[in-house]
Amino acid sequence: MPATDLDWARAYAKQALSDLDAREKLALAGAHKCHRLHFLQMAAEKVCKAHLTVINGHEKVRKTHAYVEKNLPIIARQFFTRMNDENRMSQWEVRQIEGIAGEIELLAPACDDGGTRRDNSEYPWEDGHRAVQTPCEYTFPNIDDESRTIVRLIRLIRTASESYAV
Amino acid sequence: MGVTVKRSKSETAKNLAQAHFRNEPKLKHVRLLEPLNEGDPRDPIKLLEVVEGTIERGIEPIAFPANPGLGIDYPVLIIEVSPREFQNILDNAAVLGSHGWIMGNELPAV
Repeated sequence: MPATDLDWARAYAKQALSDLDAREKLALAGAHKCHRLHFLQMAAEKVCKAHLTVINGHEKVRKTHAYVEKNLPIIARQFFTRMNDENRMSQWEVRQIEGIAGEIELLAPACDDGGTRRDNSEYPWEDGHRAVQTPCEYTFPNIDDESRTIVRLIRLIRTASESYAV
Repeated sequence: MGVTVKRSKSETAKNLAQAHFRNEPKLKHVRLLEPLNEGDPRDPIKLLEVVEGTIERGIEPIAFPANPGLGIDYPVLIIEVSPREFQNILDNAAVLGSHGWIMGNELPAV
């Protein structure tokens, strides 16, 4: 019997949860920021793919990484509103996710904002001064991955992934 | 050459709690979870943070690495719960006990 869209969504969601587990282990072990961000980006991407697979079907989920900026805030609105009676709190949480989603997406090497953002969590790149930057030495100044927003983001990805993983 | 004195886990936890209160408008309480294990720098500081309106997910730690540049010399686990979950934890010590933790002191905002 061929795999269904729900099979694919479940698989994406399970892998997102596993990516988050890897991030936890790396954070406790003191791994470089690029590795923590890499697994966070992968988890965010996969929960978005799980969401889109449920809505649009697996065939329409293309092999691209550019899902996060648009879809993570949509997922946030859906889950924070559904699970939280206090609407003002929901809006506040969604704004936090909106603020970071674009930067999370740009961590994927394939996403460079039309060539203007080559910084990514995996491969070295040449910066605007023609110097080679290395992810494990780069500070990723646009993302504070020790902020409260990260707590919010991880809890959202876990909640959404668990709902798609069943 | 100057000598950098490492802050204790207890002092670091107080500083972290104050910083979190400044940045999280819905944060109501921060409680230290014991044991702190001051002698083991690899054992994380564990903070139970009560946030009004947060999604209720039970005891779910989120890890953060040590960051000596910011004065955080130890890894940190943040466990965020709602006020209702917090009351359940206060009423039932086994909730924390299953993780090997007990409720510690309240850490103030200032």
